[in-house]
Amino acid sequence: MSSRQLAQPLTLRAVTPAEHLAFIRTQPSASFLQVPAWGPVKSEWQHESLGWFRPGADGEEMVGAALVLYRQLPKVKRYLAYLPEGPVIDWASFTDPDARLGDWLDPLSAYLKKKGAFGIRIGPPVVTRRWSAAQIKEGVSDPAVRRLDDIAPLERTPTGAAIVSQLHELGWQPQAAEGGFAAGQPQYNFHVPLTVDGRAKTEDEVLKSMNQLWRRNIKKAAKAGVEVTRGTRDDLAAFHELYVHTAERDHFTPRPLSYFQKMWDSLTPEEDDRFVLHLARHEGDLVAATISIRVGQHAWYSYGASSTEKRDVRGSNAVQWEMIRSALAAGATVYDMRGITDTLDADDPHVGLIQFKVGTGGEAVEYVGEWDLPINRPIYAAFQLYMKRR
Amino acid sequence: MTLTLHVDGPRWREHLVEVAERTPGLVPVAKGNGYGFGLGRLARRTQWLADRGVGTGQTWGDVLAVGTYDEVAEVADRFHGSILVLTPWRPFGAALEVDPAFAGRVIHTVSRAEDLAALLERQPDARYVLELVTSMLRHGMTGRDLRGLGGLTARGRLEGIALHLPLAQGSHLSQVQRLITDAVSADLPTRTLWVSHLTDSEHERLRASYSDYTIRPRIGTGLWLGDRGALKVTAQVLDVHPVERGDVFGYRSRTAPKSGHVLIVSGGTAHGIGLAAPSGDLSLKSRAATLARGGLDAVGFVRSPYFIGGKQCLFAEPPHMQASMLFLPHGSPVPAVGDEIDVRVRFTTTSFDRVEIS
Repeated sequence: MSSRQLAQPLTLRAVTPAEHLAFIRTQPSASFLQVPAWGPVKSEWQHESLGWFRPGADGEEMVGAALVLYRQLPKVKRYLAYLPEGPVIDWASFTDPDARLGDWLDPLSAYLKKKGAFGIRIGPPVVTRRWSAAQIKEGVSDPAVRRLDDIAPLERTPTGAAIVSQLHELGWQPQAAEGGFAAGQPQYNFHVPLTVDGRAKTEDEVLKSMNQLWRRNIKKAAKAGVEVTRGTRDDLAAFHELYVHTAERDHFTPRPLSYFQKMWDSLTPEEDDRFVLHLARHEGDLVAATISIRVGQHAWYSYGASSTEKRDVRGSNAVQWEMIRSALAAGATVYDMRGITDTLDADDPHVGLIQFKVGTGGEAVEYVGEWDLPINRPIYAAFQLYMKRR
Repeated sequence: MTLTLHVDGPRWREHLVEVAERTPGLVPVAKGNGYGFGLGRLARRTQWLADRGVGTGQTWGDVLAVGTYDEVAEVADRFHGSILVLTPWRPFGAALEVDPAFAGRVIHTVSRAEDLAALLERQPDARYVLELVTSMLRHGMTGRDLRGLGGLTARGRLEGIALHLPLAQGSHLSQVQRLITDAVSADLPTRTLWVSHLTDSEHERLRASYSDYTIRPRIGTGLWLGDRGALKVTAQVLDVHPVERGDVFGYRSRTAPKSGHVLIVSGGTAHGIGLAAPSGDLSLKSRAATLARGGLDAVGFVRSPYFIGGKQCLFAEPPHMQASMLFLPHGSPVPAVGDEIDVRVRFTTTSFDRVEIS
């Protein structure tokens, strides 16, 4: 992008879900939390689609989009405006020293202020650091290493750093997610890259980067006759039953069935593969079930469940492998296994999750993280206090 | 007639090596009065450290940091490595008068974009570090300034980024992290970080998180003056006069308030004796102590930095240029002419007549 183009002022206004979706379709990828169909899933929040426009040769051109969720404070008509893993703008352009994040964020905060927001939260989906599977493995076995930050990353990205640096300059405040999962979106994620040297990997190449255990388990499942199929809306009930069982076993709070039905109803019509339910069965028994999501070239493993019985048939590995194959077939460049904690402490209960994901041979990535811009300082401060005490 | 800094040589050298060993990449700082030792002596000692480092395969003291361009010549003959100048380069003054004989050994500190262009114009092969502005707000560039440098940093020899941190008040790490992020955002062709005023544990954290960086800790006080037990300052008793109450003495013809002795000792304003710099200690206790000293002044005598038998002496009148007058009340042990007495001074503000290293 030339400096002349950058000098063109950007305007921002509300757009229809159709305009929003049309823009998302022009992008190689965007977070699924930023597609218009995600708004209705969060039914307890109000939502709105916004678009950035730049004057072009033939009229206006839409150059960015955001799904804004408005969370109302009890009793007052004031909102936290939340753009989970968003907005969808040309983040890569910030390698250009003349690119100013303020050109994008200033119209956003002016607009949201008028809408009654007391604060804004964004989460640029931009990688700042990467660590390889080998580094993580080494870190877990090294007692001196307790967190990802204790190891120098494979890469520090100038783009991610430029965004962090500019957010500080513009007065945004990082919402540090120390240690485990914080309230917002995870800052550390696990990615399996599906390209090499700019071309798509073959299934064999993906398999080869996995560790031996993963490869053996995938083979074992195939040999045992585990079958993975795509589910219908009616199958959500069976998924949910297994998911509740998993939640009891692994000590997390399950979401209600209605949440998944809402996701299905809103996301499925938007695009093929936007929301897919996968069911792994062994001799008719459901042994694992997962939900995958894809937006353009980015495929996510979103929710998973597995039975306690018949663990030896390795339904989980079978269904993961099936999701990876589908992502490859759809031309995805990354298979995203979502959040990890930054712990590499062998005694931490969360380390098992990262070890499972590391077996795929992917990489841990750190995102820019979530940042807040307080608009009304007293209300924002009260909100922060309330969130802390919750 | 001398104010002397006595150094327990073996103990001091052992301390220097100990600091170096736990500080990989150590860059000794020698500036101003040379922390009381003198710049020349510190330059030779840095060379000694560097030689020991090479022997063990470590990098210590291959670079010596000085404060100003005028100090470069004082260390350049006694030390053979690179010389980092901490005062930022400006297109005027002493920075432009570096002796060509050692221009190649000098690493400039650059704190403004326009200065980098001007420096490279004058010296295309200049070695330099880019200073980032810290919460001290002294000199340095912001992240935006760095990103605006563009291709300039590919020219000359960029030796790293430099941070001048304030004295520890809580942890510096988040600030350091933020500043390195600024440097990463500019995609600078360097992975070296010159820092000061980090604690040992902060260094340890930094070395873990940034093991892809070379860290060069700049240390002055903690290195040269870190083991106070190895250092002792003495003055000589030059004369002793018994006085009775009402006797007249001194430049200002004061009268003795009671019987005792007037002592003439070496050390005066030329050495920095009696010239108090603000201590920087803002605690209630130290402020109360200042008030108390003011009180003594009002009554007549002020506490001096001289100690006899562990007891602090009072000035009989303000220090002279090279000697001071002390008042010893009747009953105190009286030293003889030629005796040495202890002096407690700030090393960075004192010029010693002599430094004796055992």
